[in-house]
Amino acid sequence: MTIVPRPVAVPFSPAKRETVDPVYRQIRDLVYKVSGIYKAEEKLYLLADGCARRMKQLSVRTPREYWDHLTANPNRDGELRHLLNEITIGETCLFRSQPQLDALRKVILPEIVAEKTKRIIKRLRIWSAGCSTGEEPYTLAMNMLEESNGLLKGWTVEILATDLNDRSVETAKVGIYGDYALRSTTEYFKRKYFSTVDEKKLQARPEVKKLITFSRLNLQDDSKMHFMKGMDLIFCCNVLIYFDGASKSKVINHFFSNLNLGGYFFLGSSESLMKLNDQFHLVHFPGAIGYWKPSSLQSGKL
Amino acid sequence: MITSVAATIRERVQHIKTIPAIPAVFLPLLKMLSSSTEEVALDEVVRLVSYDGTIAAQCLRVAGSPLFGLAQTPKSIKGAVISLGLRRVETIVLTCCLGQAFPAGNWALDPAVFWRHSLGCAMVCRKFSEKLTAADGEKAYMGGLLHDIGFMVNCLVFPKEFATAIELARHDEIPLYEAEHATMGFTHCETGRALAEKWKLADDIVEVIAYHHTLEQSHEAPSLVALVHLSDLLCRMRALGYGYYERQKVDLISDPAWAILAKEHRDLEGVDLVRFTFELDEAVEQIHDLVSAVFGSKAAAS
Repeated sequence: MTIVPRPVAVPFSPAKRETVDPVYRQIRDLVYKVSGIYKAEEKLYLLADGCARRMKQLSVRTPREYWDHLTANPNRDGELRHLLNEITIGETCLFRSQPQLDALRKVILPEIVAEKTKRIIKRLRIWSAGCSTGEEPYTLAMNMLEESNGLLKGWTVEILATDLNDRSVETAKVGIYGDYALRSTTEYFKRKYFSTVDEKKLQARPEVKKLITFSRLNLQDDSKMHFMKGMDLIFCCNVLIYFDGASKSKVINHFFSNLNLGGYFFLGSSESLMKLNDQFHLVHFPGAIGYWKPSSLQSGKL
Repeated sequence: MITSVAATIRERVQHIKTIPAIPAVFLPLLKMLSSSTEEVALDEVVRLVSYDGTIAAQCLRVAGSPLFGLAQTPKSIKGAVISLGLRRVETIVLTCCLGQAFPAGNWALDPAVFWRHSLGCAMVCRKFSEKLTAADGEKAYMGGLLHDIGFMVNCLVFPKEFATAIELARHDEIPLYEAEHATMGFTHCETGRALAEKWKLADDIVEVIAYHHTLEQSHEAPSLVALVHLSDLLCRMRALGYGYYERQKVDLISDPAWAILAKEHRDLEGVDLVRFTFELDEAVEQIHDLVSAVFGSKAAAS
């Protein structure tokens, strides 16, 4: 009779273990701990590429040496920022997360509409916080317009789009996008909501723009944050990753109080809120994760 | 009335003739797995498995999947047991046997989809329990693998009725369980239970099959049932569901199952559910690969 001990815990997918330098897994965990961004196993090469670009800049030869730059060097915070820039670069495009949009249209909107059905003023307020050059608010606007003869018939939709960077806000207002930004946009949406600028560029039509108010806002400006009330939905993708724990926590608390009861907060699709706020309920939709402010605060944890 | 439905199901399941030959090793192995580990002899398991060449070969292939923690395919069953542990090998054997018991056929439910969900749930259950001290990972795996076995019974015994239920679920984008209730008046929980009893599965596994949608009915193994319930929901939200969009918002932490599990496992609170979800995503592709390896190219292609 032989009794074999229970095997130790293994990751879900230790595949390619031999092909990736284990230091990158350490870096992945560090990036997650500090920023909440999780680079999945199959995307570790993207992290490795980002590191490689930084290593070249710094004339660092080995990943191990780069790890020291991220952890022991006096400028480690600055370096981590550079790395975060490298690994999130190029992620911005219209229709970036279809599962998030599906959750919005198939689950959340019916819920909000049902809840507000008895109100006289039927108004939906959405905030794209850290909207960069406008890809997210335009995507949201088009999806809301798609519902304007259905679920949202008779409703007013307001989308607030803010960013810290003036130039981004100005670019966003113009609403002109090239192939790369439109790579996930279907022909249907391109034809319906854009006009042609030239061979390679499309511009969002006035009826889409009409839904959105663009402005500059610093999420760390407490006095201004207090005014952003009455939101039903807040999207803040790949923005908080650059904040330190304390600032992040403060911004998230603002978001919580800016939301209406029953409202939702979304991060980027590989981003986590970690444990920075215990009032939000973590909720899963098919393929998407959101944070819910319960409809009545007493009913908190059921 | 209810008892007569139960009696009909039992009667029909008793007389299932269409389950193609269950590998001979299946039932003795199940019996072994139900007994305490100390009584299980390695040689006996190896002898049983090696008796069926097809099963043995398949087991080695599965054992070599990164999902089971090995980077290389082991050369023999004994080798697999030494690397992975007896109990994990037993669960692998049972996985393969089930694949043979229900091979791809012209079912109301796409068998590839069914196996991906079952195997996915088994993996999530095991992974989940690895995060909890004093949880039995291999038992949890079995619970996850077998929890929806009633869907197979439905396909074999009530094909027409079940096809209607699936159609309703797809059309209304509602959980299959609700659609079964609405159209058939009974669910895979009852049909699965009848088969589980016919196979004389252990009481706790029978409870998982019978009560994973009605936790409050579980008395023998509430925390195992709760674990499977949560893993099932998580899989359905992460591309390992039943192949259609379920309009659902899942709040795992507020689910009664969470409290049941937390009562027994205090370390549940420390689980980072978002990261856990991202890690599950990493395994989806491998689960697809494994399903084609175990359940045949026919299942994989559909």
